[in-house]
Amino acid sequence: MGQLVCNQDKVNELNIEELIKVCPFGAIEYTDGKIEVNAGCKMCKLCVKKGPVGVMEFIETETKKVNKDLWKGISVYVDHVGGSIHPVTMELIGKARDLAAVVHFPVYCVFIGYHIKEKAEELLQYGVDEIFVYDYEELKDFRIEPYAAALEDFINKVKPSSLLIGATTLGRSLAPRVAARFRTGLTADCTILDMKENTDLVQIRPAFGGNIMAQIICSNTRPQLATVRYKVMNAPEKQFNSKGLITVCEIAKTKLKSNIEVLKVVKKKTEENISDAEVIIAVGRAFKSEKDMTMIEDLAELLHAQIAGTRPLVEAGLIHAKKQIGLSGRTVKPKLIITLGISGAVQFVAGMNNAEHIFAINQDERAPIFNVAHYGIVGDIYEIVPKLINDIKSSVIM
Amino acid sequence: MDYKKIDDKDIEFLVSVLDKERVFTGERIHNDFSHDELGKISKMPDVVVEVLTTNEVSKIMKYAYDHRIPVVARGSGTGLVGACVAIYGGIMINMSKMNKILELDEDNLALTVEPGVLLMEISKFVEEHDLFYPPDPGEKSATIAGNINTNAGGMRAVKYGVTRDYIRGLEIVLPDGKIIEVGGKVVKNSSGYSIKDLICGSEGTLGIVTKAILKLIPLPKKVISLLIPFTNLDMAINTVQKIVKSKVVPTAIEFMQREVILAAEEYLGKKFPDNSSDAYLLLTFDGNSTQEIENSYEKVADICLEEGALDVFITDTEERKEAVWSARGAFLEAVKASTTDMDECDVVVPRNKVAEFIKYTDELQKQFHVRIRSFGHAGDGNLHVYILKDDLTKTAWEEKLSKVFEAMYSKSRELKGLVSGEHGIGFAKKHYLLEQYGSDYLELMKNIKLSIDTKNILNPGKVCQ
Amino acid sequence: MDIFVCIKQVPGTSKVEVDPVTGVLKRDGIDSKMNPYDLFALETALRMKEQMGGIIKVISMGPPQAKDVIKEAYMMGADEGILVTDRKFAGADVLATSYTISQGVRKMGKFDLILCGKQTTDGDTAQVGPEMAEYLGIPHITNVISIIEIKEKSMIVEMDMPDTIEVAQIQFPCLLTVEKDIFQPRLPSYRKKIATKDREIKVLTLNDFEDKDEKKYGLNGSPTQVERIFPPAINNDRETWTGSGEQLSLKLTAKLKELKFI
Repeated sequence: MGQLVCNQDKVNELNIEELIKVCPFGAIEYTDGKIEVNAGCKMCKLCVKKGPVGVMEFIETETKKVNKDLWKGISVYVDHVGGSIHPVTMELIGKARDLAAVVHFPVYCVFIGYHIKEKAEELLQYGVDEIFVYDYEELKDFRIEPYAAALEDFINKVKPSSLLIGATTLGRSLAPRVAARFRTGLTADCTILDMKENTDLVQIRPAFGGNIMAQIICSNTRPQLATVRYKVMNAPEKQFNSKGLITVCEIAKTKLKSNIEVLKVVKKKTEENISDAEVIIAVGRAFKSEKDMTMIEDLAELLHAQIAGTRPLVEAGLIHAKKQIGLSGRTVKPKLIITLGISGAVQFVAGMNNAEHIFAINQDERAPIFNVAHYGIVGDIYEIVPKLINDIKSSVIM
Repeated sequence: MDYKKIDDKDIEFLVSVLDKERVFTGERIHNDFSHDELGKISKMPDVVVEVLTTNEVSKIMKYAYDHRIPVVARGSGTGLVGACVAIYGGIMINMSKMNKILELDEDNLALTVEPGVLLMEISKFVEEHDLFYPPDPGEKSATIAGNINTNAGGMRAVKYGVTRDYIRGLEIVLPDGKIIEVGGKVVKNSSGYSIKDLICGSEGTLGIVTKAILKLIPLPKKVISLLIPFTNLDMAINTVQKIVKSKVVPTAIEFMQREVILAAEEYLGKKFPDNSSDAYLLLTFDGNSTQEIENSYEKVADICLEEGALDVFITDTEERKEAVWSARGAFLEAVKASTTDMDECDVVVPRNKVAEFIKYTDELQKQFHVRIRSFGHAGDGNLHVYILKDDLTKTAWEEKLSKVFEAMYSKSRELKGLVSGEHGIGFAKKHYLLEQYGSDYLELMKNIKLSIDTKNILNPGKVCQ
Repeated sequence: MDIFVCIKQVPGTSKVEVDPVTGVLKRDGIDSKMNPYDLFALETALRMKEQMGGIIKVISMGPPQAKDVIKEAYMMGADEGILVTDRKFAGADVLATSYTISQGVRKMGKFDLILCGKQTTDGDTAQVGPEMAEYLGIPHITNVISIIEIKEKSMIVEMDMPDTIEVAQIQFPCLLTVEKDIFQPRLPSYRKKIATKDREIKVLTLNDFEDKDEKKYGLNGSPTQVERIFPPAINNDRETWTGSGEQLSLKLTAKLKELKFI
């Protein structure tokens, strides 16, 4: 640790403006003939590196170092609601195994819930060395205090070096609570994780709405906490001869008290607003009848997609006006959009060109939609879509 | 009118100038080319051609002139009065592929573009260079030549004027195929009749724009809007005159009523920041610093409060602007989605008559038992009034429509207003133009048309014919 | 009800780029605004006050210029504003920030509820709320999508979970982070702007805190370090596929699987 110090004697009229400007956070102020760094400072140290030479200096100070040898293992929090395990968990186990291999650590899971012991058996098949289970009635529904208490108990008992948690709404509630309890670092929404030889976890995440990437480490405290989004890492294949252990942990019931009472847990209604949809199947005027739409509904169901379309389809009464994408309709920014038989008029494209992955199927290889599509598929929708439905179905079964 | 029918030889000629890929006939002509945005007037052209150069346009015009074939030039087809519909068939020239930005001249603050460049592309391009093309019609996917030909207005007309005010020069292909240039990069021009200004707003009847030089201004760094609720529309509109008199110039003064806001909320599935009042004014100010804008808007805000505004809401961030302006942008579609069919009029009246006109449409609504919705540019007197079909039968609707239109246009004449503020006359509003101007004026327009287009082949049957 | 709303000043635009050569953050001017997600928290507080009465205090940590967002909150209807600022807070990461604000809240006395936005647009970590709740020793619920009922000593809310919605009753005092769009935030009012022109903004510095241990604040209280920042890889790939229906369908299925959409 340390602090930024300004060598005031090196500040002069020539470099003062340069110095103030170099700070992207506007945290360097010149008041009463003195340079001050205010609370806006993010310690990016750009003023030291890129500012006028020698003016700003970063002075390291002695900090208490953690004994990293006492903290071993990469653990994964098992994200679930009522025992149904969220697939991000398997993806994290996959990543944990990669990370653990670098420093020869075991991979642990911590599973907190009620009537979950059998589910834990299944998880062993993904190559986990040991699963620590907290199985109490008080842990039936997610409530922050008892869940945090159980996780705290696990950390104290096992002393894992790193703890990976799914960046689901649940994980993003639990992880910071526990990080604060241990006064340790937590990096949210990591997209890339790596392991240093000294067991420091390299955590890379997008910031400023994805406009920049930041590489973060947490070298003086343990455990190191990171949350990771679903569908970023790869789940490992199941193994059939799993050698892992299941350890049932005990915790004092007094620690499981809560000021929250869960009244009910209900299944989410499917989101109807295309503006918020993650996956969209967009159809164009190549579609002529209600019957065609049935085929699209099948595909949409398989991909958990919402159906949207172009203006002519609205005018033909095949889709509702609220499902129209484009300048005169909605603007959408899904993770995936598949356009079917859409030529790609500017009015339409302006409403969807910020989608993360754009697939376009169109017969006319000169269609302007292919200028914006990441994957342009030249072909007949009536031929491809039914096959696609079958292929997806069979690939899901596998 | 006696025009030559398109035959194989004509097609052969077109193919020889362009190539097969860019000449469309029969089945290959997309249905879109038979109508414009409103779709009321419809007729298929005999052949649609895609042009890429001025020379191609010139050759086609010369041929059409020699053979007396009607020609219609078309951009994005976003018009609302049928101006780009080939009512006599013939050749339709699709200009939308001539869509290159040719030159940005930062010394002269001028942008040279091809006719098919879209309005939204222009604003995006110049803003990246800290410059500003102020005309701001609602339809951003319209082409610049389409805008020039209707002399489109838009939201910022109060402060910055309309398209015509930003056209420095044009390259035009005349009906006989000759190419001329009018205006230029010059700021002043007192050199004879201003053909350039005649072309602006001529709806494709006098010549085909193949290049345009646009005037740019420095980009104002900040924009802030005020959303001002009133207990009724009267109070809101009456305040507009006070604002205009105050000598502070907003870029836009729009009015909106709760019904339209609710329709937009329903259409977008999103709440508007405030829907508790009956009527609103939406004012926009631009300038180079927040301080500068605050100074001017505070004066206006005080006037509004004195005039009985319930409050003045400040719309200063991306999110707030999005919440307000996305609704404003969706009004037309929202009103459309709320009914089975509709027709619109875009009369323009002197600014101090806006309230009277709106009140009158409200009376018409009751008198004819038909739903009428309006919103628009209170600051420049240009009103967009929509008459909704709802569950009326086609005949009942058409009958009512013509009566309501007749009544509205006659009211507009009484108030010294004009038939169209920014959508043009095209085919649909010809009758009302005649009523407005009378035969002497129309005769003059016809003579101008025929002196330039002696064989009457360029977009015939429109505006004054 | 006594409600705290945590607000933060963030850059006016999210269009932030990193110069790939120098690694310097390019920022467009020094324009700033209230974190848009906080608007939803403030709006929630205002609606609760309309229903239950009470007082709304906004609290922000940042440089002295962050007073602007407190003024903005006054223009929306907040009653009191507190700015937590001290150069000793410089370089704070999430943990140190949460601790600092929680100290500020403690200093201000008792409360029923703390409302936070879901996350900020500059850091988007979504951690400050839960970490504060921990430091204050109160329960929290994140990602609240609606408020069902407000009672005297508790409230019932809906929490957004991965595939379900949890309906829970939570006792006061507590902390909630609210989802975007829980309510449409109102616009700042010019009338309120005039009325609150001279309203005080309370400033708290380290000296005002109960815990004055400098090691817990700013850079010294921050366990994480940013090693470097860099621009993200942008997917500008364009591929065109041709072939038979079978081939295309199989290729598409494989790609969708690779991208984890299947």
